[in-house]
Amino acid sequence: MSTIGEKVNEIYDSFFKKTWSPMTGGIMLALLAIFMFAWQRPWGIVGGIRNWSDWIFYAVGIFDEEPPNPLYYSSSVMDLGLLAGAWISAVVAREFAFRMPPVLELWKGLIAGIFMGIGSALAFGCNVGGFYSALHNLAANGLTMMVGLIAGVIVGLKYLYWEMEHLTPGPAGPTFLGNIPPVFGILGIFGLIACAYAYGYSDVEDAGLMAGYLLIGSGIGFVFHRSRLCMVNAFREPFMTGEAAMGKAIAISVILGTFGIAIMKYMELRPEEAYVVPAFWWGSLVGGFIFGAAMVVAGGCGSGSLWRVAEGQIKLWVVIISFAMTNSLIRYWFEETGFIDKLGQPVYLPDIFGYGGSIFIIIAAMLIWYIVIDWNEESNKFVIEM
Amino acid sequence: MSDTKIAPDGLQVAHTLDAKGLSCPMPLLRTKKEIEKIKSGEILEILGTDPGSRNDIPGWCSRAGHEYLGEKEDSGFIRFYVKKK
Repeated sequence: MSTIGEKVNEIYDSFFKKTWSPMTGGIMLALLAIFMFAWQRPWGIVGGIRNWSDWIFYAVGIFDEEPPNPLYYSSSVMDLGLLAGAWISAVVAREFAFRMPPVLELWKGLIAGIFMGIGSALAFGCNVGGFYSALHNLAANGLTMMVGLIAGVIVGLKYLYWEMEHLTPGPAGPTFLGNIPPVFGILGIFGLIACAYAYGYSDVEDAGLMAGYLLIGSGIGFVFHRSRLCMVNAFREPFMTGEAAMGKAIAISVILGTFGIAIMKYMELRPEEAYVVPAFWWGSLVGGFIFGAAMVVAGGCGSGSLWRVAEGQIKLWVVIISFAMTNSLIRYWFEETGFIDKLGQPVYLPDIFGYGGSIFIIIAAMLIWYIVIDWNEESNKFVIEM
Repeated sequence: MSDTKIAPDGLQVAHTLDAKGLSCPMPLLRTKKEIEKIKSGEILEILGTDPGSRNDIPGWCSRAGHEYLGEKEDSGFIRFYVKKK
């Protein structure tokens, strides 16, 4: 019989050190996305990183209007929370280290980030705001972005196969700071709680809301890192190796989140128009295609790049910086020229199909994807050979 | 929740792939390509720095029929061992 101490160690290892299954991660992510909307607004990624890069363009005089304070801007605080949560998970599991990739990978990160910025500007969001949270929020652009993402992923994968035959990555750079003691991760948890209290006691308007964004965002980052949940993997692996575990986890995560968020909208606890953006159909379809191809080359989507930044992967730092800066510039240009009104229509599925019909459509789309990739896992029918 | 499998000592390696610094999915793609260079029963060693390879390489081995022998921590990188089917 094990002692209490051994049992505590076992639970600690299961929670902080061992990798969670993709399905555990997918279910936890759906819960946290529901918590985020219950707190106030849907979960997103691009708004936060765009806010950070808007400040750079404002500082150098390219943008005239001062962007919102990143410490009191919901999207930014969510992203800061995600980074903190993923960093805590990485440090506690001894998986944090700055890892310098070969030069070729840095170039790929830079160029892929530019295309991710363009795609996400066209679709009004990355794989999170434009697809995952869009479907939770019963927005038609989530479905068209999914089609675009799948088509784009195939193109991105074909590029990687071409690269394998024609380019060599060269030597990697150094890996450093890989020995941070896990206790720093535990201290990080206390630091987050202290920041949440600081928001709670702040006199700044709506500062209390930031505490929730920070803590729920950090939960999302922790879940992502612990389960290595990755939407690039979910879309890419059925075509690369046939593996479907991540794809099935994301399908279930979308379904669970859709129920939770649809309930809040139906009961008028939250506005129906939340995350229904004017990108149906072509903005989300074309944006999804560009984003899908680029995220495969980058090795991370919006969320996946951010949690890998917190793990210390320098390539993904380059991806996030070029992704955010391109998105800032393109979004600014769209707004200045009025092109932002030409990307499509905001289509809220319940306006056409009712709540029942809309939930049915989203569940059907996810189940079809689930069944096809599950079948493909055995048959390898859609696996593209090298 | 998965445990890390530690490779046994004294493995006779037929070929080594240096995938240090590469991030997902490049270590796995290069592993798929490099394993074609060795014979059935021989061992491929992969040097990597991406923690994601801890899931990707064993998962691919079980799907492709190769035997995943485990990993060993080195200074700043991980050595993975795969026996070709």
